[in-house]
Amino acid sequence: MAASIDEPAAIAATAVAATPGRRMWLATWSQTEFKIGLVLFLLLVGTAFIYPLLSDIDPTKLSVRERFLPPVFLEGGTWAHPLGTDQLGRDLFVRSLVGLQNALMISVAVVVLMFAFGATVGLVAGYRGGWIDTILMRLTDAQLSIPLIILAIIILTVSRPTPFSVIVVLALAGWPVYARVTRSVTLAERRREYVRGAKILGASDSRIMWLLIAPNILPPIAFVAVLDIARMMIFEAILGFIGIGIQPPTPTFGTIIADGRKYLINAWWIATMPGGFLFLTLLSVNLMGAALERARNRLLRGTI
Amino acid sequence: MGFALTFFARRLGQGVLIVLLVSFTIFALLRVVPGDPARIILGPMATDEVLEQTARDMGLRDPIPLQYMRYLGQVAKGDFGTSFIKAKGGGSMGGGRDEARGERARVLDLVAETLPLTLQLAGLALVFTALIALPLGIAGGLMAGRWPDKLALYASSIFVSLPNFWLAIVLALVVTAKLGWIPSIGYQNIAYAILPAFVIAIEMSPLFIRSLSVSIADTMRHPFVELAQVRGLSPRRIFSHHVLRNAAVPVLNLFGVQIGALLGGVLVVEYIFDYPGFGLLTVQAVLQRDFPVIQGIAIISTSIFVVINILVDFVSAQIDPRIEY
Amino acid sequence: MSERLLTVEGLSVDLVRDGGLVPVLRDVSLALEGRQVLGIVGESGSGKTVLAKALVGWVAEPLVASRGVVRFRGQDLLAMPPEARRILRGSAVGYIGADPGSSFDPTLPVGRQIVEKVQAVRADIDARAAKKRVLDLLDRVHIPSAARRFDEFPHQYSGGMLQRAMIVDALASDPAFLVCDNITQPLDVTVAAQIMRLLHELRSDLDAGIVFISTSLPVVCDIADELVVLSRGEIVERSTPARLLEAPAHPYSQDLIARNPIIWGTPPLPVPAEASPRVILAVDDVTKTYVVPDRTRFFGTQAVKAVRGVSFAVHGGENLGLVGESGCGKSTLSRLLSWVEQPDQGRIRFKGQDIAGMSAQQLLAMRKGFQLLLQDPFNCLPPNLPIGRSVAMSLQIHGGLGRKAIAEQVRAVMAEVGLKEDDRERLPIGMSAGQRQRVNIARALILEPELLILDETLSALDPMEQARLLDLFERLQARHGFTYLFISHDLAMVRRVCTRIAVMYLGKVVELADTRSVFFEPTHPYTRALLSAVPTLEEKPFKAADCLLEGEPPSPIDLPQGCSFAARCPHAMPRCRVEEPPLVDLGGGRFSACWLNEPEVSRAA
Repeated sequence: MAASIDEPAAIAATAVAATPGRRMWLATWSQTEFKIGLVLFLLLVGTAFIYPLLSDIDPTKLSVRERFLPPVFLEGGTWAHPLGTDQLGRDLFVRSLVGLQNALMISVAVVVLMFAFGATVGLVAGYRGGWIDTILMRLTDAQLSIPLIILAIIILTVSRPTPFSVIVVLALAGWPVYARVTRSVTLAERRREYVRGAKILGASDSRIMWLLIAPNILPPIAFVAVLDIARMMIFEAILGFIGIGIQPPTPTFGTIIADGRKYLINAWWIATMPGGFLFLTLLSVNLMGAALERARNRLLRGTI
Repeated sequence: MGFALTFFARRLGQGVLIVLLVSFTIFALLRVVPGDPARIILGPMATDEVLEQTARDMGLRDPIPLQYMRYLGQVAKGDFGTSFIKAKGGGSMGGGRDEARGERARVLDLVAETLPLTLQLAGLALVFTALIALPLGIAGGLMAGRWPDKLALYASSIFVSLPNFWLAIVLALVVTAKLGWIPSIGYQNIAYAILPAFVIAIEMSPLFIRSLSVSIADTMRHPFVELAQVRGLSPRRIFSHHVLRNAAVPVLNLFGVQIGALLGGVLVVEYIFDYPGFGLLTVQAVLQRDFPVIQGIAIISTSIFVVINILVDFVSAQIDPRIEY
Repeated sequence: MSERLLTVEGLSVDLVRDGGLVPVLRDVSLALEGRQVLGIVGESGSGKTVLAKALVGWVAEPLVASRGVVRFRGQDLLAMPPEARRILRGSAVGYIGADPGSSFDPTLPVGRQIVEKVQAVRADIDARAAKKRVLDLLDRVHIPSAARRFDEFPHQYSGGMLQRAMIVDALASDPAFLVCDNITQPLDVTVAAQIMRLLHELRSDLDAGIVFISTSLPVVCDIADELVVLSRGEIVERSTPARLLEAPAHPYSQDLIARNPIIWGTPPLPVPAEASPRVILAVDDVTKTYVVPDRTRFFGTQAVKAVRGVSFAVHGGENLGLVGESGCGKSTLSRLLSWVEQPDQGRIRFKGQDIAGMSAQQLLAMRKGFQLLLQDPFNCLPPNLPIGRSVAMSLQIHGGLGRKAIAEQVRAVMAEVGLKEDDRERLPIGMSAGQRQRVNIARALILEPELLILDETLSALDPMEQARLLDLFERLQARHGFTYLFISHDLAMVRRVCTRIAVMYLGKVVELADTRSVFFEPTHPYTRALLSAVPTLEEKPFKAADCLLEGEPPSPIDLPQGCSFAARCPHAMPRCRVEEPPLVDLGGGRFSACWLNEPEVSRAA
């Protein structure tokens, strides 16, 4: 039912006395999807960071005798290597866990970088307008028109792929989206009365931007950035798969799957099992992200 | 009429600017990075003297903006240059000064060979995307908060979590290799496009499911929809003539923005299925540092993006007269 | 009983929330005959919109009709099968709502949508007949060039025009029963007066019963044969307009009548404490034009002339009112005065100094002495700051005070505007409109300004809260010697507090005089039209019928030659359409921009 000023007070009085961030958090937490995602995520990440410490299996150790061991649920599999081993006898479970560590650290770093840089530029462009804004808009237009992955591939093939350069390249390719979103929210926020009120009080532009507008508009954008962690994990994996991501022997999902692809017919688990692992991780992040996104939509609509 | 004319004139002008910006960035990027084009053409055996000579002949030692202007001049004449690597009839030709440059494949020909295959793939992928996203998104939007909405949420979360390259491998393994239902790997006829298109559709559909269900739910909340029922319109008519119409605009815009992502998906999927399209050409060109091909691809793919977005915006403005550009 | 057009018996509607029921309407009974107008008056929150919709059989989630019946010609609307109800609703029952701006699909031409509705409910009318009917009706409700308007989109219509289109939509299927739900609420007073005039006109040749619902008692009394008073979901009194005004039985009705403003009656005119000749703020021939892109032309732009050469001065200790309807340029002027935007031409001087020539430091110092209170209490405070910090921010911006001193002043000023000590930690979101406006006042007050501009500051508040804040303003003025500039559309409020009034129309001041002159001897026809349109219960010296012609105010993009009011002015002369009258001094501090004053001007000269 559309709320209008004219509805009985009983209907209109639904606003709770809490900050937007808190209301959004409450709306997120009330969704089952979020809890499912969070439990799955904690489980996977906990295992990824704890199991390799406890286990004495080295993810890069070769073992000729243990090549092509199938996963535990197939005939010939053992609990010593629950997901089986690859063409060089390396344990796929531990390799996947270390791959998950790397993927997660890289994508979180990328998203933090993209967010920090994009949000700053977007805030300044949206608030000040003028030439900064024009340049930003043309830049993001151009950036949107060329697939992020092409850009990343071009930069990485012509430079040397290290974890650092992968992070920088993905962040470079992805920040304009954040700039664009922040800019458009800032444009709307700038027209709100409280900004005019602060100007009339004599507040400086930087005070208005950083102390008034930023705390209001950035939390919802930051929450939804969770979805980009998953996206960046996929990109990192694609780069590794093509062979221009983090280089072996460091295990990453992309390189493991690329290796396994060569033995797809005889030892299908090498490519599929780590991918399944990646899928579960992405699913957990995306479920949390979807719940956050919904909560944000409700916040923007004013129904929470 | 006047509106359409000024709209296209203005937007094409902006579009040209974007294409120039992208192509210059890529051009400059390829010039500043290590990896001398002359060395790629001549192969590792050539002496430094020959190398320097070739580089000077090709204008590679001139300032980058000058090289770019020269390149643009050729492009304006319809000449996108020739590949460093690819020979005319297909296959690559590395190193060796002996081959005359004329025998190398023209970039335009390479694009002309691969683009139709990719358009076919992209078209099929969009059909699949619509088949997946329309029912889920519309049902989710109309019954916000109830089970179809949840179904849409879980389906899109699962789809978006499937890494495209991994899904491609698994499908190729199960559907083509194990079950032998649908061929993939390589290209002989349109059947080879089905699996790659399906993978792209799985990658694209979550965005459309979400956008559709959000914009339909938002439109349903608009006062005019409630009032239309008080005015005596039937729910079915309100949905088909008004709600869909209003909800289409954000979805169309998303489509425009996602053209870039669609191209990205095409690229990965073609690489895995060895589908001889535009995407595979791109990956090969990049990995082989085939600069003229990369530059040509950048200009052409950006132009495609720009044109589609102009059309999308034009259609949006036809649907919703309040939209201004 | 079944002879009756409409009967409502014992209707109760509840809101389902958190598994429980919250009553919205309780035991409402009504009856309506054909050709009769039944008025329902109730404040916002009284449940009148829910009642209006229930009358056309529309009770949807999260509302439920828990008891009672709504009978239309003997058929129970609430119990009918949905499809039959839909047809009946569109054909025999017409509904006009309070929100014309979002009543139509924004993506389709208005005419086509009305035709669509006619065809959906009347199988006997074919497409051509339906179109002809709609065109005739558009003409009938005085929409100019109906054939062209038929194909225009909702956003190309003004609010008043859309409300007319909604009337066409309701009438197009020949309803026997019409519900008008607060239809004048969002409109400017002169436009609302025109709509009411149209309704009177239609009523006489319409064979329908009308339920007319409004928040405004004067508007309901103007048209209703009988009326009921709705309060908190219950009918507290049934009467006729004359009887109710003469002898209201229920305390709520008495209160409702007492709260209506009196403009020409007894309350004394405000007298300035000491009419000092000192000019605090001088506005000198200020002009502002906005350039907006014109989508129909290549690189084309359109100029919106928002403020066109406005001059006035505010003297120390006085209360100056600036009144006008939407689009008159008062909000633009407020932005210019607060120096958030700069005028294209003209000067604004604060205590003799031109603001344009000020350095950043002087500007900051000036802002201390010159504060503006904004209209919208829901958006004017930073949503994420506790209000104590919001108030303290004013001082932090201007610097020079320690943390303890600031806290001390915040406490003092909050007490002065009537906020509690422990309110400091609260966020704006949990506060009422009136409380937020107090916070806003505290933020300005803490800087000890000399001049306060109130830009529709009280418009969003209910009358009770409005009165309390006006008292607060008076107290503050007495204590601190403030000068106030009230910018408002609310004539009654301005009448109560201002000593001088400037009337604006389409970017110009058309009349400027002391309050008595403006209300009792207005010299500009627009002022008279405005006064005639104000809904009041008292006998008015000006009748809308004599003071206002049909027609819309022109668009500020496309202003006609000559006087911009000429098209709606009953006294317009040929000269008015050619030459724009200047604002001239009529003597005695009165200024007016109308050619009718010509003889008086020459006499004064």
